[in-house]
Amino acid sequence: MTGILVIGEMAGNAVTKQTLETVAAALQLSVELKQPVSGALFGAGDLAGAAAQFNCGFSTLLLVESERLEQYSAQQSVTAALAVIAKLQPSVLLLPHSARTRDWAPQLAAKLGSGLVLDCVNVVVGEDGLAAVKPMYGGGVWGQHVVHGEPAIITVRAGVFDCAKPDAGASIERLEVPNLAPNPRIEHLETIVNEGTDGQQLKDAKTIISGGRGTGGQENWHLIEEAAAATGGAIGCSRAIVDMGWLRWNHQVGLSGTIVAPELYIAVGISGAVQHLAGISNAKTVVAINNDPDAEIFKRADYGVIGDFKEVLPAFIEHVKGYAK
Amino acid sequence: MHIVVTVKQVMDPIIPPSHMAVDASRKQVVSASGAPAVMNGYDANGLEEALRLKQVHGGKVTAITLGNESARNTLKRAVAMGADTAALLCDPQWQTLDSFGIATVLAAGIRKIGKVDLVLCGRQASDSDGGQVLYWLAQLLDLPVVSPIIKIEESGADALVVHQLMDEECQRLRVELPALLGISSEINEPRLPSPKGAVIATRTMIPVWNASTLNVGQVAGKVTIKALDIQVRTGQAEIIEGADGAARGRALADKLHQLGLL
Repeated sequence: MTGILVIGEMAGNAVTKQTLETVAAALQLSVELKQPVSGALFGAGDLAGAAAQFNCGFSTLLLVESERLEQYSAQQSVTAALAVIAKLQPSVLLLPHSARTRDWAPQLAAKLGSGLVLDCVNVVVGEDGLAAVKPMYGGGVWGQHVVHGEPAIITVRAGVFDCAKPDAGASIERLEVPNLAPNPRIEHLETIVNEGTDGQQLKDAKTIISGGRGTGGQENWHLIEEAAAATGGAIGCSRAIVDMGWLRWNHQVGLSGTIVAPELYIAVGISGAVQHLAGISNAKTVVAINNDPDAEIFKRADYGVIGDFKEVLPAFIEHVKGYAK
Repeated sequence: MHIVVTVKQVMDPIIPPSHMAVDASRKQVVSASGAPAVMNGYDANGLEEALRLKQVHGGKVTAITLGNESARNTLKRAVAMGADTAALLCDPQWQTLDSFGIATVLAAGIRKIGKVDLVLCGRQASDSDGGQVLYWLAQLLDLPVVSPIIKIEESGADALVVHQLMDEECQRLRVELPALLGISSEINEPRLPSPKGAVIATRTMIPVWNASTLNVGQVAGKVTIKALDIQVRTGQAEIIEGADGAARGRALADKLHQLGLL
């Protein structure tokens, strides 16, 4: 088996940014392994547009188009992946790490008996073979994991690699996959889209304003909302806020929430638990506003403001609005 | 309904990296804080959910763990919370198993227990953050698997209606029993052991099942740990100064504007 395969993901009709980051990881690995990179996309409808965005230095690009793939099911993804793997025989499979891949990639690994490491920040080639670097212990420890079996399966964390650039190199082939069907023992009843989101995905947000326990109460939360509106940012929060029922889980930043990679992350009243810091490890610039000068967040932040956010944020918001004019 | 909950004893996740160390082989993390090990948080959510299902349907809850002799403490806690029985899967040759190896041993333990209607696992462990043991376990036991679960909406004798958390939505699914679910923290708040439970736990015999009890030998892994490195943060933020909070707020806006971030 030879070659590196990337199976991409789509949001609507476009490939996700994280998919292109995963291609960049594959291209880097391709230089070290001296093996070509191929790609595959699964989806309903015509995938030609998405394929054009995804076609970055590939030797082959396979499309699995089926109306059955309109609705996600792990078993369908596994069936499609098995067909692509059977055709291309890759030695390594890289996937963007997402809610879907963390669900179906382990089921694929279990079917193939392949080694798998989820949510990695790097893949390197050493004398023992392929090693995936994975944050553990809530991000406090990084582990190098040697992955056995072919294909070795690795999911890549968002925001670590820069996006690969499309070059329209490979010719596109369509692959018919028979027997695409969900697990008969799991029936899909409904997809519940979150009410109360502004539609801005935390994962792709350029700016995030996040509040934690230190914001003190729901009566102060409007300051977080106003700061988000003034900066054009998305609203995030720590786990404490979700546990107290102020915001729904889809706003939670952290290891068990969303791992984010914004240009600017402003943490308000967040102490900086390890699990939260793991969620912002790829944020470019981190600002902390906290009245406790010893808060752990100040060790991660690039800029810190020590003080009461109820005094800091209103002046900050007014000043930011001034720039916008 | 017989529910098996897999629990793992882990280093307390509140311990910061500055209080961790790796051993000489760089393959194991040790705590330098002296804080006692705890039950993995997501597993505690799994146990709580099992106890709630038992309240509705009756039946039995069994907690199992794979670990060394000290992991007995976590099983005692599970019994004190309300688990009916527990078993410790312990053998020197199982000390460095990967996810597949752990699942192989757990599967043998669950087969020994007999007829099981539901297996609940935490969605991942807070030490290894692996997130794949439950899927290997489902494959080995031929059970349908869904994870991470944030709600069990309905439970009947032959199926459950569950909510699976995705990136931007939830999937509402009907899963036939027997099944395996990975449980996430949104689902419930785990109870604390009651004083009565603590007494029961001291009196409950917890059997040890080893490689010969379960007829499982050395398992060839799929993934090997080569080296672990502690990520200690030594950085310190540049502090934005100002006469009062409002002045610092304005200075922060200026700084971010200069950096082109606003």
